[in-house]
Amino acid sequence: MMDFLNLILEPLQDVLLRFKEFAPNLLAMLVILIFGILLARVLRAILVKFLTAVKFDNWSDRMGFTTLMRKGDLWTKPSVVIGAIVFWMLIIVTLMVGLGALNVGAIDNLVEQFFSYLPRVFSAAIILVVGYAVSGFISRAVLIAAANGGYHYAKLLSEAVRVLLIVMILAMVMEQLQIATNIVLAAFSIVFGGIVIALAIAFGVGGIGAAKRIIERELTEERPEKAPDDIEHI
Amino acid sequence: MDTVTFRSEIHGQIEKVGSADIVVGIPSYNNARTIGHVVRAVQAGLAKYFPERRAVIVNSDGGSADGTTEVVQKTSVEDFSAILLHHRIEPISKIAFPYSGIPGKGSAFRAIFEIAQTLEAKACVVVDSDLRSITPEWIELLVKPVLDGGFDYVAPLYHRHKFDGTITNSIVYPLTRALYGKRVRQPIGGDFGFSGKLAQFYLGQDVWESDVARFGIDIWMTTTAIANNFKVAQSFLGAKIHDAKDPGADLSSMLYQVVSATFELMETHAAVWMPVRGSEPVPTFGFEYAVGLEHVNVNTARMLKLFREGLLNLREIWLDILGAGDLREVERLGALDDHEFRFPPGLWTRIVYDYALAFHLKKLPREHLIKSLLPLYIGKTAAFVLEVDPMTQHEAEAEIEKLCMEFENGKDYLLTCWK
Repeated sequence: MMDFLNLILEPLQDVLLRFKEFAPNLLAMLVILIFGILLARVLRAILVKFLTAVKFDNWSDRMGFTTLMRKGDLWTKPSVVIGAIVFWMLIIVTLMVGLGALNVGAIDNLVEQFFSYLPRVFSAAIILVVGYAVSGFISRAVLIAAANGGYHYAKLLSEAVRVLLIVMILAMVMEQLQIATNIVLAAFSIVFGGIVIALAIAFGVGGIGAAKRIIERELTEERPEKAPDDIEHI
Repeated sequence: MDTVTFRSEIHGQIEKVGSADIVVGIPSYNNARTIGHVVRAVQAGLAKYFPERRAVIVNSDGGSADGTTEVVQKTSVEDFSAILLHHRIEPISKIAFPYSGIPGKGSAFRAIFEIAQTLEAKACVVVDSDLRSITPEWIELLVKPVLDGGFDYVAPLYHRHKFDGTITNSIVYPLTRALYGKRVRQPIGGDFGFSGKLAQFYLGQDVWESDVARFGIDIWMTTTAIANNFKVAQSFLGAKIHDAKDPGADLSSMLYQVVSATFELMETHAAVWMPVRGSEPVPTFGFEYAVGLEHVNVNTARMLKLFREGLLNLREIWLDILGAGDLREVERLGALDDHEFRFPPGLWTRIVYDYALAFHLKKLPREHLIKSLLPLYIGKTAAFVLEVDPMTQHEAEAEIEKLCMEFENGKDYLLTCWK
């Protein structure tokens, strides 16, 4: 009878013993989660106040980030969005640290993978943000220069420049995140090469007549006299 | 603050001169073709009007490759009696050297100020090295108000063709006048007279490593003199004719340099211009006479095309800067036929003020912001040309006066929006 009872109690004792060993880890995880959430909330509040104080929302308006958010149906203030992003990143990090405190082999591997991937996420985010700002700056510079030069399709040209830059930036981001790098590289090469070939064919075939006329005029004709502007602006 | 470092032989030349009453500065860069005439006119002016004053001609050169400084050294008026001048008592010294520092007219001027300070000059003059219309009288008109009249700054007053000087006429003059309350007609003329005291004051300002060293020195000198309560006057010099400018010079860069320098000064002197209301004339010297001016060709059709292309392409940027109301007004102008195209002075005033506010609020990177003004400026210039074409010079000047009054009356709008 005792043997039978032992057969039942031993596993229970074993479970109890394991739980006793595991309980501090669980407690540690709960404490980490609670403190992590509290810390994330406090940091979010401080960050939003700081961004408001340095007029981040105005800067975001100027750089076109606000417009981008509105296009994505996001109607909160950019400073609040940044606060929310940082908050959720901290929550994820807290969760990972908390899970790490459990000291479970399988989870430890997962946590390790997560933390080794984190630098790539950060650098991808930086490439995305800086790239977006730079593409906006360059396309605006192209727009103004082309418009001041009297080019009729200035807006189209600047949009084309912007789209090309954004495609390039997205390819860089995907490569950084190591998401289907071969496919991304191949797709990017095909799209970029395709655009160049399309332009070459368009100008080469469609523009034969125009090119011929221009060359003939340059070689054979005197340029028509244009009334020069003698005006001194200063 | 750092001072200009001169080469040892320049120090030697300065020491040899010792001191001077008048310093005439000529900044140059590849002006060998024209600088000889300028140096001769300056020498004749000094000989004729200031025979008993010690004078130095300083050529501050930007590293010319065409022998500009050699021309300066070799040029002299051989026979003063041939131009009915006194026998000069004091000799005129010449110092010609390449300036150091950031390349630009501002750095060239800084070296001139530095020499004027070292020589303890009482009066200084700076004249452009590409002038063809300079006469000996220019030196008298720019120096006398300083030496005899107690003025610190003498701006030039020229007779120009009614179509010329449009950045000055439509932006810089009305804006400076409305802001600082002084009617200095040519605030960016390029030829100025000033006292040794003011030269020292200029040198003491912490701007010589900024954009002022590159461009915008003219408006900086005028505004600094006015904003710091120096005694300002202007002298009528006649016509201003200079060597043909580089036809490839980019108008948008020119506009950017002048307008950004003017707007930047608004930031520096906000406390000075905010309480100012209206404007007053400044004392004017010299005998005004009519000048025969060459015909100026203007292709208004091409200018209006550029304005309309700007309207088509820069609409979003203008909407952000001007607001919906004024943009609608601009769009209405875009729909007008060429012959009836006119730019209302009130609208132009608000546009310039809106750009100044956008610059102040950093709505866009400054180069993008000011270069986006170009099609509007071209439209305004075309409208002005069409409007004043049948008018006399005097009537055209009256139109500029109307615009200035609009700037003065509309200043409250600027003040209200300036935070």
